[in-house]
Amino acid sequence: MFEILEHTADIGFRARGCTLAELFASAAEALVATAVPDGRIEPRERYALSASGEDLESLLVNWLGEVLYWLDGKRILLRRFVVHEISPQRIAAEAYGEPWDPARHSARVAVKAVTYHQLRVTQDEGGWLAEVFLDI
Amino acid sequence: MRTDVVVYASEALLDQIRKDLSLEQAMNVAALPGIVGPSLAMPDIHQGYGFPIGGVAATDWETGVVSPGVVGFDINCGVRLVRTSLPADDVRPRLRDLVNQVFRDVPCGTGGEGPVRINKPQLDRILRDGAAWMVENGYGTPRDAEFTEERGRLGDADPGAVSERAKERGRPQLGTLGSGNHFLEIQRVQRVFDAEAARAMGIEEGQAVVLIHCGSRGLGHQVCTDYLAQMGAAMKRHQIEVPDRQLACVPIHSPEGRVYLGAMRAAANFAWANRQAIQHLLRGSFERIFGGGVHLELVYDVCYNIAKRERHRVEGAARDVLVHRKGATRAFPPGNRDLPQAYRETGQPVLIPGSMGTASWILAGAEAAMEQTFGSVCHGAGRLMSRTAARKGRDARDVQRRLEEQGVLVRSESRDGILEEVPEAYKNVDEVIEVVHRAGLARKVARLRPMGVIKG
Repeated sequence: MFEILEHTADIGFRARGCTLAELFASAAEALVATAVPDGRIEPRERYALSASGEDLESLLVNWLGEVLYWLDGKRILLRRFVVHEISPQRIAAEAYGEPWDPARHSARVAVKAVTYHQLRVTQDEGGWLAEVFLDI
Repeated sequence: MRTDVVVYASEALLDQIRKDLSLEQAMNVAALPGIVGPSLAMPDIHQGYGFPIGGVAATDWETGVVSPGVVGFDINCGVRLVRTSLPADDVRPRLRDLVNQVFRDVPCGTGGEGPVRINKPQLDRILRDGAAWMVENGYGTPRDAEFTEERGRLGDADPGAVSERAKERGRPQLGTLGSGNHFLEIQRVQRVFDAEAARAMGIEEGQAVVLIHCGSRGLGHQVCTDYLAQMGAAMKRHQIEVPDRQLACVPIHSPEGRVYLGAMRAAANFAWANRQAIQHLLRGSFERIFGGGVHLELVYDVCYNIAKRERHRVEGAARDVLVHRKGATRAFPPGNRDLPQAYRETGQPVLIPGSMGTASWILAGAEAAMEQTFGSVCHGAGRLMSRTAARKGRDARDVQRRLEEQGVLVRSESRDGILEEVPEAYKNVDEVIEVVHRAGLARKVARLRPMGVIKG
């Protein structure tokens, strides 16, 4: 689950999860949903994704960058993420989705990049929270 | 802070500027190691990532830093203005057909292959040679390259420094516009302010022209992403600290700095190749609708997000600096040898797109820019309103209808593409231009009004 955040030029979201793994999965889904909001993305295929970083913030940025690369580079839309390994330096997950199909998929916006702008990854009683801004 | 912030604005614009983080960001930029002169803020400044959009900062070429975040994700986002041999009144009766034709011929490029198919070795050559490759391979004329900033090719570009991932994103996107605030606009020259400069540029009142606004697409975005990711560790090695992670930087002559600049130049070359490709497609669109007799010629092409080595006078002495322009345009004055012969007396054409439905401007670079702002001015109107705010309470069809009543046809790939770019979401471009003109940085040449808009 996620909410949109205000920014003058671009777009951000706030994602949540009970665990860190859920947070990263939720953030990945938020990214795809921002780019392809009405996407009828069928979870037809299973793909393996991973990313590394120096700390939680850079891990999140690199992880979302990986998802964006699948979207914009490989043109594979990923809808559901299951994170099976996570530490501050590394994440490994399985994602379900399908290749881009112009007949069924339309991008609302082309996401250029994931930024460090006002990036937050924090934990409170409710669980984990992340705020990320995207350059579009 | 190591230096001052200098802001070019009117009182009214300053009120708006104070509402977001632009000034704080401009202050953070003033802390960049090796910064030469002030951190400059143009009248269209608005909050960016670390560095404000509408900002200029120069660092010493020998001892200063280069910052991938400062250059930005959309390396060589820029515009080119193409003049046509048609009066706008002749275009008007066929406008809908023309807009639909261009919408077909120049895709926005989300998903799917673009119209200009290239293989990997060709992409590497484009990264090295930019517009020159496009001209050699039938996508333009030598004159097109000559009338582009840097002739559409930055030397010392390093295709090897561009990741496979970036190439994978960019290769299918050649000849596509992208989305967001990128667009292609068919315009009328509404009013000429400087007859001599307009004549030199081949511009006259009532003429139909086309403005193309886009950048380096997924390739540039990935290059910035890749190098930003490495900056954290690199900065530790060089013992540099900055107030904002997005300002991450390294010494220009460090291995990291050199390889980034090589990649940045390659991405810039890709953007010039892309704008050249789109111009080529546009020539085809015009021919389809108006027949073979219509001529399209490039007035000029400028970039808004870049870092370039330039020589400037600083406190009386000539000095080599790396000028970072982020949402800012180069504006070289009359006499400058980097300009095509046709513009040596006028000064460099400066192209300022307004927002959808408002005016765009042609200016000419003036001496004060060279003296005060490292030869730079603004790039556009600058956003006022977030995208979410712009969508609230507005209906895309109403916006489209309202624009049509004003004589502007819009075709967008997405509903949100129209809503988020409504004129009210932007600062008043005429006011921004007035500041630049009165400060003597560039002088008004012509005001352009939109007729047809194609966007993502």
